[in-house]
Amino acid sequence: MRSFQAKRSCLLFFGAILLITGLRPTSVHAQKDSADIPTVSTTYAIEGARIVQAPGRVIDSGTIVFRDGVIESVGRRATVPYDAIIIDGSGMTVYAGFIDAFSRVGVATPERTSMPPVANTSNPTYERAGITPEKQVRTLLNPSDKSVDAHRKLGFTTVHTVPHGNMLPGSGAVALLHGKNADAMIIRNDVSMAFQFTGSRGVYPGTPMGIMAKFRQLHKESSRRLHLEQMYASDPAGMSRPPADIVHTAFFPVIADEKPVFAHTTNALEVYRALTLKTELGLTMVLTGLSEGFDTIDKIKTSGNPVALTMGLPDKPKWAAEIKSDSLNQILSSYTDETRTATFRDVEAEKRNLEAKQLVTRQKYVEMPKMYAKAGIPFAFTSYGVDSKDISVNLKSFVEGGLSSDAALAALTINAANLLGLSASMGSLDTGKMANVIVTTGALFEDDTTIKYVFVDGHKFEYDTKTKKDDAPSSRRRGQ
Amino acid sequence: MNRFTLICAALVFLLAGSVSAQDVLFRNATVLTITDGDLENTDVLVSGGIITEIGSNIRAPRGITEVDATGKYLMPGIIDAHSHIALSSVNEGSSPVTAEVSMEDVVNPYHLGIYRALAGGVTTSHTMHGSANVIGGQNETIKHRFGTKDPDVVRFEGAPRTIKFALGENPTRVHGNRGSGGTGAIVPATRMGVEQVLRGSFENGKRYMEAWDAYTAEAVTNPRAVPPAYNNRLEVMADILRGDVLVHCHSYRADEILMLTRVLNDYGVRKITFQHANEAFKVAPELAAYGAYASVFADWWSYKFEVYYSTSYNAAILMRNGVVTSINSDSGELNRHLYHEAAKSQRYGGLTDAEALSMITINPAIQLGIQDRVGSIEIGKDGDLALFDGHPLSVYAIPAMTFVDGIKYFDRFEDADDMRLQISPTAEIGAFEGQITGRDHIHDETEVLDFFELFGEDILTTIDSQ
Repeated sequence: MRSFQAKRSCLLFFGAILLITGLRPTSVHAQKDSADIPTVSTTYAIEGARIVQAPGRVIDSGTIVFRDGVIESVGRRATVPYDAIIIDGSGMTVYAGFIDAFSRVGVATPERTSMPPVANTSNPTYERAGITPEKQVRTLLNPSDKSVDAHRKLGFTTVHTVPHGNMLPGSGAVALLHGKNADAMIIRNDVSMAFQFTGSRGVYPGTPMGIMAKFRQLHKESSRRLHLEQMYASDPAGMSRPPADIVHTAFFPVIADEKPVFAHTTNALEVYRALTLKTELGLTMVLTGLSEGFDTIDKIKTSGNPVALTMGLPDKPKWAAEIKSDSLNQILSSYTDETRTATFRDVEAEKRNLEAKQLVTRQKYVEMPKMYAKAGIPFAFTSYGVDSKDISVNLKSFVEGGLSSDAALAALTINAANLLGLSASMGSLDTGKMANVIVTTGALFEDDTTIKYVFVDGHKFEYDTKTKKDDAPSSRRRGQ
Repeated sequence: MNRFTLICAALVFLLAGSVSAQDVLFRNATVLTITDGDLENTDVLVSGGIITEIGSNIRAPRGITEVDATGKYLMPGIIDAHSHIALSSVNEGSSPVTAEVSMEDVVNPYHLGIYRALAGGVTTSHTMHGSANVIGGQNETIKHRFGTKDPDVVRFEGAPRTIKFALGENPTRVHGNRGSGGTGAIVPATRMGVEQVLRGSFENGKRYMEAWDAYTAEAVTNPRAVPPAYNNRLEVMADILRGDVLVHCHSYRADEILMLTRVLNDYGVRKITFQHANEAFKVAPELAAYGAYASVFADWWSYKFEVYYSTSYNAAILMRNGVVTSINSDSGELNRHLYHEAAKSQRYGGLTDAEALSMITINPAIQLGIQDRVGSIEIGKDGDLALFDGHPLSVYAIPAMTFVDGIKYFDRFEDADDMRLQISPTAEIGAFEGQITGRDHIHDETEVLDFFELFGEDILTTIDSQ
C-alpha cells in the first residue's frame, strides 16, 4: 500500500505539470463528464502478482497493465507507464473477469401481483400467456440494481442477461457490470431469444406439452409471415398487406438464424424437449441450466449443442443438512446396490440405505460439471434462477466434486466468451483484450480466498477482504 | 491400448457368436398364441427381438439364454389401450380443443409406473391425454423398455398417431361450469355444446385442409401464391380427416356414443375407439355396423353420475356383437392385473379363454394399429412376451417374467426393492415422492394441479380418468 501511495503522489505531481503544459495523457478523456471529478488516471498496473492469463497459462510473478479499459501489456516484466496507478500484487492472483452465460442480473425481480382472471383461458393475451419475446432487456437493465454489485463482488464482469418472465421472457443482451445506464452497460444488444418451459397458470399454454405446441405454432406461423414480408417488400402489387404483430416479428431473426434461442432447462426431460424443437425447427440453440443433466451427457455430446450449466445445486434434504463432510463420505461409502434385503426385518437399515442413495443422487448434481468436463463437452456457467449468495459456495462444491479449478475457470471465462461470441475481447488476460480483471488473495475456489479488486472495462471496484467468522460460507447450498 | 481393447471386443464378439441381448429361447411352455390356439410343450425362439421359431425341440443357437418354461404359460405381452403412466403432464385443460398438444412431447421414461406395469405382464401402454377437453391432445404408444432415461427409447416406433376426444361431464365441467375466480364459462356447458365443439373443429379443419390444398396447387404455377395462416391445431384436425390419426374417445352414455359416430360419419372419419364406453352395450350392433371399437373396464363404475348405468356384461355383449373390444386400466394400479380384469368377462358373459385374452392382447393392438407387430405369438412378431406361473386367467396366476423385444425387463426373482430411476435429492426419506401420473383417479402432474387451483375448483379427483 505504501508504494501505491508514493506512486500516486508522484503521479499527481506529474499530472499537474501535464495539465499546465496542456499535454494531458489521453487516458483522462475516457470518462469525460464535466460534472464529475476526473479520475486521476485510467491506467493501472498490477505488479508482482501471480497472473493466470487463461486456464493453464500462468505467470508466477508478473505485471499486467491496462489503459482505458484495454490490456496494454501482460508479462513477467511489463513496462509500467508513468501515468499508471500501481497496485502491489504481491501475494495476489490476477484472473480474467468472469462471464455469466445466462442470467437476469441487473433486472429487478418483478413483484408478484395477483393475475387478473381471464375471460377465455384458451385465448389469453400474449402478456398473460408469458409470451413476450419482443421485450428488450435494455429497457429493464438498471446499473444500480443490487444484483449488479452482488454479482460483481463474486468476480463477474460481464453477463448475458434477459428479462424476467415465463415461456418467452424476451430478448437478452450482453452487458458489463458497470456503466451509468443500460446503454453504457450493454456491449451487444438483442443477442438472444430466451425460452423456458414455464407455463402460465390457468391459461394456455399451461403445461410442457402446451408450451411445445405453442412454440411450434409461433415459429411456423412466423416463418410464413417472414416469407410474406419478403414478398411484399420486393413487390407489394396485388398483394394484401401481410399480418404483423410484435411477437411473430420477434421470431424473424431466429428464423433467419441471426439470433440463437437460449433454452433454459431445469431437468433432463426438458433437455430432450428443447433439442426436439431444435431439430424440428432448425433452431440455433444454446442450452442453459441442465440441472439433472448428468442423465443427458450422451445426448448433449451427440448433439454438439453448446451448453451453460447451472451454478445452482438442489437443497440438501433436511436430515442431511447438519451432516459434516467426513460422516457424509462414510454414509456414501456404506451405500449398497444390494436391495434384496428383507427390509421389513430391519427398517432402520433400509432407511439408512435410502438416505445413502439420496446422497449418492445429490452427489451427481455436485459432480455434474466434472462429468461434462470428463466427457469433453465444453461448457460455460449460468446463474439463471440461482441465488447469488450460493454461487461461490457451489462453485467450490463443484471443484471439491472433482472439477479441476482450471476447468471451472474456463467455464467462467473463455468458454463463456466463446459461447457468447466474445472471445476476441474477453475471456483471457491478453494484450488488446478488454480490461475485465479480478484480483484475489489466493487461488480461486479455495476457502480462504477472497476477491480484492474487480476491474470492469478498466474501472476499479474494491472489496473488503477481511473474513469475519460469521461471514464464513454457510452450508446452505441451494437454487438452480 | 486401443488395439488391445479392439482385439478384446472382437474376441468377445466371436465367442458370443451371433447371439444378441435380444435373443432368448423359451423351453417347453404352454404357449397361448391368441391367434392360433394354445400349444402345449412348445418352444419359442426370439432372435434379434423378433419371434423367429415356434415348435418343439428347437435347436438352440450357441450361447443363447434359455428359459425353462416347464409348467408355465407364455402369452403375448399385455397391451393397455388406456393409460396415463410415464407422462410429465396429462391435461392441457386451458382450452376445450387442444389437438395440437402431444403426449409424445412429455413422455417420462423415469416413471416407475412402467416397471409396475411390467410386473403385471404389460409390455405396451397407450399413454393418453386426459379428458378435460372435448378434443384433447395426441397420445403416445410406448413399449415398456424400463431403465432408459431417453424418452425416445420407450416410444413404440412406427405406431400410428392417435388422439384423445372426451364427451360428457368432464369437458362440460372443466370448460362450461367454471364460475368461481371470475373465469367465465365457455362452450361446452352441455352435451349439445360438446357436439358443436366437435363439429366446429372438424369444419375448421376441413376448411384449413382445403385452403392449404388450394395453396399447394396454386404454388406450382404461381410463385407469388400466398400460403394460408399456419395453425397446428387445425393441422391435426385435417390429419384426422385424412385418416392419419386414430380417434380414441372418452365416453359413457349410449346417446353420446351414437352422436359421435354420426359426427364422424358426416366427416368421413372411420377409425374410432370408444374408451370406457360403459353404456356401449346398448348400442353394440350400431358400433359393429360402423366398425367402431370399444375399450372398457371389466367392472368399474359409479364414480360420477353419467357412469351409474353400467354392467359387468358390457365387454361380453360388445364382443358377441362383433365389436373389437379391449379391457383397459386407465390406472397405474389396475394395469398390474389386467389378466384378472379380462377373466371377469368369463364370470360375466362366459367368454372363452381365447376371447378373454384377446381383450388384453390382439384387440387393443388392433385398436392402436399395432397388430402387425404385437398382440399374439406368431413368427415375425416382436418378442414382447409375458411368462406366467399359472394360466393368466386363473386367480392363482402370477407373472414371472416379462420381455420386450426379447429383453427381460421383469423377473419376479430378481425384483429389487427400489427400482427408481430418479431420486429426489431434496425430499424427506419416506415422503411420498411424486409418482405423478398413472395413479388411480388423479392423473395430473403438479403443474396441472396448480393450473386448476386458479379456478378454485376441486376437479382433480375426477377430472381425468374415468
